[in-house]
Amino acid sequence: MNQLVFWIAPIAAIAALVYAWRFYKEMLQHDQGTALMQEIGGHVSRGAMAYLWQQYKIMFMVFMTLAAIFAVLAYQFHVQSTWLPVTFLCGGFFSALAGYFGMKTATQASTRTAAAAQTSLPDALRIAFRSGAVMGLVVVGLGLGNIAFWFILANLLIPAGDLGETHRMVLITTTILTFGMGASLQAMFARVGGGIFTKAADVGADLVGKVESGIPEDDPRNPAVIADNVGDNVGDVAGMGADLFESYVGAVLAASALGAAAYMVDPALQMKAIVAPIAIAGLGILLSIWGVYLVKTEEGASQKQLLDALGRGINSSAALIVVASLLCLLVLGMPNAWGIWGAVVSGLIAGVIIGRSTEYYTSPSYAPTRQIAEQSEGGAATLIIAGIGVGMLSTAIPVLTVGVSTMLAYLFASGFDASQMNLGLYGVGIAAVGMLSTLGITLASDAYGPIADNAGGNAEMSGLGPEVRERTDALDALGNTTAATGKGFAIGSAALTALALIASYVEVIRMELIKIGITTLELGHGATIPTDTATLTDFMTYYSVNLLNPTVLVGVMIGAMVAFAFSGMTVQAVGRAALLMVEEVRRQFREDPGILKGTSQPDYERCVAISTLGAQREMVIPALIAVIAPVVTGLVLGVAGVIGLLVGGLSSGFVLAVFLANSGGAWDNAKKYIEAGNHGGKNSRAHRAAVIGDTVGDPFKDTSGPSLNILIKLMSIVAIIMAGVTVTYSLL
Amino acid sequence: MADKHLYLSLIPQALIASMLKPEDFGSYYAIGTKVHVQGEAIFFEVDPSFRSDAFPFHLIDDRCVPKPDGSLKNSVYLSIYRVLSRIPVSALGNLYLVTNDGKTLELQRSEYQRDPSQLLHLYQEFCPINPMVASSLEPHEFSDFITNPDHPVHVPRLVFSQLQLGALATDPEHGSAQDLPYSNLEHLRDVLAELKHNQGKPSKLVLKQVHEGVIYRTIQGGFYVGDETDFAFYRFPERSALENQHRSWWRSAQVTGLA
Repeated sequence: MNQLVFWIAPIAAIAALVYAWRFYKEMLQHDQGTALMQEIGGHVSRGAMAYLWQQYKIMFMVFMTLAAIFAVLAYQFHVQSTWLPVTFLCGGFFSALAGYFGMKTATQASTRTAAAAQTSLPDALRIAFRSGAVMGLVVVGLGLGNIAFWFILANLLIPAGDLGETHRMVLITTTILTFGMGASLQAMFARVGGGIFTKAADVGADLVGKVESGIPEDDPRNPAVIADNVGDNVGDVAGMGADLFESYVGAVLAASALGAAAYMVDPALQMKAIVAPIAIAGLGILLSIWGVYLVKTEEGASQKQLLDALGRGINSSAALIVVASLLCLLVLGMPNAWGIWGAVVSGLIAGVIIGRSTEYYTSPSYAPTRQIAEQSEGGAATLIIAGIGVGMLSTAIPVLTVGVSTMLAYLFASGFDASQMNLGLYGVGIAAVGMLSTLGITLASDAYGPIADNAGGNAEMSGLGPEVRERTDALDALGNTTAATGKGFAIGSAALTALALIASYVEVIRMELIKIGITTLELGHGATIPTDTATLTDFMTYYSVNLLNPTVLVGVMIGAMVAFAFSGMTVQAVGRAALLMVEEVRRQFREDPGILKGTSQPDYERCVAISTLGAQREMVIPALIAVIAPVVTGLVLGVAGVIGLLVGGLSSGFVLAVFLANSGGAWDNAKKYIEAGNHGGKNSRAHRAAVIGDTVGDPFKDTSGPSLNILIKLMSIVAIIMAGVTVTYSLL
Repeated sequence: MADKHLYLSLIPQALIASMLKPEDFGSYYAIGTKVHVQGEAIFFEVDPSFRSDAFPFHLIDDRCVPKPDGSLKNSVYLSIYRVLSRIPVSALGNLYLVTNDGKTLELQRSEYQRDPSQLLHLYQEFCPINPMVASSLEPHEFSDFITNPDHPVHVPRLVFSQLQLGALATDPEHGSAQDLPYSNLEHLRDVLAELKHNQGKPSKLVLKQVHEGVIYRTIQGGFYVGDETDFAFYRFPERSALENQHRSWWRSAQVTGLA
């Protein structure tokens, strides 16, 4: 039965890729609109691809260098898994591949969405959403497909050795965990680079285009307008896709590793525990595909009806995965199936609550954003103070939700026996899988946003009629709502995944200790315990992981500091890259007066290239910090210091990410609320203050906040990968 | 040979001869030729046959000629001081509104009809002075009042527009001002309330000088030019016409230096 249930995963992965291909081909068959629409779409598409290739070139160099280092560590020093160089490269490659397909589809879909909007709102929604689903399904298809492939391969190639079958399963799951490293590092480049690109282009386009030259939004005279449109795809399609690819893969792999560790007493149970998260993810894919077909609307639909159409697909998939996951666990014959199912449900509910919380704190329909808008009457200073306050307050619900969800998952899975730490942590891991199980469709709604946004820009630049713009505006407004909740979901899932990865870290330490010949752990007072049967509590005792150990405390503080330093770097990077864009746009206006008059075309590609180079140059150091921090901490402070670092990074990074994303989102929507005719409306003093707040919030919500998701996961996965180095060479 | 045009610029005040058509002149006047001068503009086209001893019209023939490379002469300034007061309303043709990025909207003279239903009004004056004034007088009466030489405070000729007051037009104290972008709203409420309840002065100053330029979304009715004897009205298009027929101009007109 285990095998039968396991095969749900590869079948679902293949189905995801088949349907992604089908949706892609379906999109291609639609009309591309007028020659001008195609020309504009072509600029965006070429710009997006130019960015990707430039990023992939740098990534290729970084990945090859790191793979070579890993190979030396694995084959020369024997402190790494010998699988790592290959799994690392594959993780990065498939994450990048998902980003490529997502971007290619999104940029081609926006023109066709605009063209469809000329005649029909339902058709336009269908094209935009199903094209977004291409990204969602490619991410889950490639992610789960790889997990299934590596599991099968590792199961075939890794021998039982002297330690027996149960340790072999732990070794298999911790080995394939290394696949997450490549995905994680690729996500870091995609998120940080994409975040810097999109905001440099956006801020640069606004500052010179609107403020200095009085050019409206999406005006083809603005040299940075194409870069701005490219940025939407780079940030919210490729960046978000890579982020969630990593969360998805990390959550499933961590849950499997924790499952293998939790049921070491019985190899049969162990296999069930490994298969369960993989199968639940597979069921989630199948239900996501079904959910995509439920998203449809009628001509003249209101904003609420459009939101309901999207909600119908997402909520139906989520509701059914609750039932399907229970059936899966019962069919597998998991012990405490209902408890583990409770953990799955707690993760799912946590995802919904965090999404709602994000919506509450950032939507102009609710009090917090309206209060910020009200403060704008006092000027930019009071508005910014209010936004910072709301952002800080907004951290409470997501943090408490993840906290409660973690506790519930832990208790449900451990049968309400807190001493069963391994079982409890398996519950935490599987809660993260629950939250991400229907990623195929939730990511579709995220990727839909920039497609609709670009379609609106295309309609505007192509001078399409008012009824077309009305339709694209309706689709765009829907995309803004899904983007806000999507960011909350990404942060919440990152936190839960990172928690599961931290728990997995100890399992990897166990395997590394055994590998270097430490077969017993000295627990003090002369007590010893065999390494292979030691519990997590034993490991905590062995490494003195307690709050009175200064090593742990120093690690916690460093982790918190890294989150802040990383945010500071990415915020400053946007400023520097935006300045380059400002100078370029000014130069083009100065050297060719025909641009502003509309008699000559700006050099769009140069702006794309400048934003690309700015992003590539600025993303390297923050990305390297995320890699270096756990390695250096491990070498100096040892395992206890690394656990402190990860806990400090997770707790501060999670809270900081929510704060940055929500304050930025709230400022953005406070501006929109004022523009809708409140507190003086557009052009008022309050509006001027809101514009400043929105600009300040841009790098918060679209660069630093989302990048922190990756930081907390990447530090955990690097710690896991470097566990062998840490246990072998650490000073303390 | 291209026609020669006469333009009366209101921001800043100047009489300019040009070989450019109004739309091209608007673009040139707002953004320049090489360096972006940046500045919204409002100007009238003046009857090309208009002549007066007050201006050196001979410069038109002397200097408003094609450049050596054959391109059209952009501008020949004939005067930059007290221009409006020396050109009669009858000589003024179409009115042109130019955005910061050089998009031009043409307004033609329209028939003016009084609307006695509105009790309170708000006016933005453009030339020769540029304050914001609240008044109980409708536009024509206001023009007559402010250009009446019998009053100690008057101007010989005035260009102004009426601005929306929304609910404040009927209920200055409690009416909603949510979508009114004017600064110092409390002062505006006080001024309007005083105009409503006290039958003393028909007009009161709200702002000595409007710094924000023209916020076109607040224009009600249109633009007016008047003096002691003459009055002309230039109807501003309805919002739907701006959205559908003049969208390019309308989008630029709403930017006004804000992101």
